[in-house]
Amino acid sequence: MSLTPASDIVGKKPGRGLSGLLLVAIPVFLVCWMVIWPILSAIWRTVWIRNDGGTGSSFSLETYVFFFSDQYSLNNLYVTLWTTAVCAALLLVICIPIALYLRFSTGKLAAYVQGLAIFPMFVPSIILSYALIRVLGPNGTVDLLLNAVNLPKIRSPYLTPWGPVIGLVWDNIPLTVLILVSGLGSVSNQSIEAARDVGAGRLATFWYIILPRISNSILVAISFTVLGLFSAFTLPYVLGPAAPEMMGPFMQRTFRDLNDPVMAITQAVIAFGFCIVFGLFYVRSVAKNRAP
Amino acid sequence: MARLLVEKRIDWVGIGFAAVLSIIIVFPLLVVFTWSVTNVWRYPSVIPQEFGLRFWGATLARADVWSSITMSLTLATVVTLLSALICLPAAYAFARLDFPGRSILFFSFLAGHAFPKFGLLVAIAAIFLQLNLIGTFWGVVLIQLVGTLLFMIWIPVAAFQSVDRRMEEAARDVGASPARVFWSITLPQAGPTIAAAVLLSFVGTFYETEGAWLIGAPQIRTMPVLMISFINNQPVIQYGAVLSVLLWIPSFVALLFARRVISSGSFARGFGA
Repeated sequence: MSLTPASDIVGKKPGRGLSGLLLVAIPVFLVCWMVIWPILSAIWRTVWIRNDGGTGSSFSLETYVFFFSDQYSLNNLYVTLWTTAVCAALLLVICIPIALYLRFSTGKLAAYVQGLAIFPMFVPSIILSYALIRVLGPNGTVDLLLNAVNLPKIRSPYLTPWGPVIGLVWDNIPLTVLILVSGLGSVSNQSIEAARDVGAGRLATFWYIILPRISNSILVAISFTVLGLFSAFTLPYVLGPAAPEMMGPFMQRTFRDLNDPVMAITQAVIAFGFCIVFGLFYVRSVAKNRAP
Repeated sequence: MARLLVEKRIDWVGIGFAAVLSIIIVFPLLVVFTWSVTNVWRYPSVIPQEFGLRFWGATLARADVWSSITMSLTLATVVTLLSALICLPAAYAFARLDFPGRSILFFSFLAGHAFPKFGLLVAIAAIFLQLNLIGTFWGVVLIQLVGTLLFMIWIPVAAFQSVDRRMEEAARDVGASPARVFWSITLPQAGPTIAAAVLLSFVGTFYETEGAWLIGAPQIRTMPVLMISFINNQPVIQYGAVLSVLLWIPSFVALLFARRVISSGSFARGFGA
């Protein structure tokens, strides 16, 4: 899966360069028009604000000043950061053991565990939201079961910040497991056996042998999670509280309901800012894998 | 470690994972399925008082359900066809032709994945607002088309590159025209992988919720968008349950086809692992 060196694959025919460029022109144009341009335009429009009289524009950071001085906006930012951090931590705690198990096991049971771990990839998040409301919501299935054995109802996570956390973790298990399993593939059996032979326990083997070799995969998994979660929309919108809301629903409401596109793109640019490091790292590691 | 694996013993860890994951992953979906085949289920009964398919008839009789099914299928088909039309020739060019900027243009498709997605959608929506594309069919088509570019170019590029060049050259040597070589040699070999990419982009577009909601609502109502409004405003639980089961069908088809591709590990490498 890499772009082979062009020198191997082409006869030096004049005119081929032009036809190649023409063939890729439309997708490249779409990326420029619908990805690069909106981002540049968003930054431009939020720092070059039209004056009140509509007579001209001038440099101003007023929308950013407003965001960072408005308690409501700040609360939304905090809940987003909190959700992202909690989800990333939970995903690692859940997925590293699963990935370790899958790496060192074979057989039907391991195949079943792998099938289950990947399955959420085939459940659209909107169906997941609905299922979680039916199970964990008020008078949901968990309440039914608890009631049947005469236990009190749970404090439902539905419409609290924990609702989106549960949904987002569920939704992100497959990719995290796949990324970690793929990373564990580079840990050789010999290195682990060698460590065990000199008397290292399971924990020591994990800490000193396995962890350093999969640290890059862990970083990729974290980057992927952060990029996906920071502006998650559907799950927080459906499962989360009305206030404070995560950045995704917040941007949507500012754009559609409050009809304030400049403030909405200010929030988007702030989200870009918080994710830029993860985005760059992610792109770099994908590009490294695909490069010739 | 390998020594441990050879020993025949009960795999308690595996049983533990299998049990916990079964409950966490499968149970919520079973509950939704049960609701969809339930006529009456009142608290606090643990199982429904009356099973039945009454609400399938009621859901399928709703005009908004049918219009959303039609809208979703139309959108996904149009987006997938357009995407194939513009991406497959581009993928062929990336795999086989040399042109200035080939590498950087190839990696430019990653740009959309380096930013939090919804933030990018909001930035696009701000531009669509000036172009009067908000609330239009083609606005949603455009935004979903951009979401398919990466897969529809990267996967077919790999497919074209894995085609055996010697067979193509042999065909040329015995006098086949380039078009004939492409049609008879290249396409049959690259076909299955390209078909997987097309299926992936169809299913991905079918479930794309955020762009459709931000750009299309309320005029363009796809199945996932209708599902959101069912969750928010529909007191009859079964409608949502039946719609969930209907909504899951394309994913189920994809599941049947894609399982092998995904377990092979090359999929995760595509995500940079």
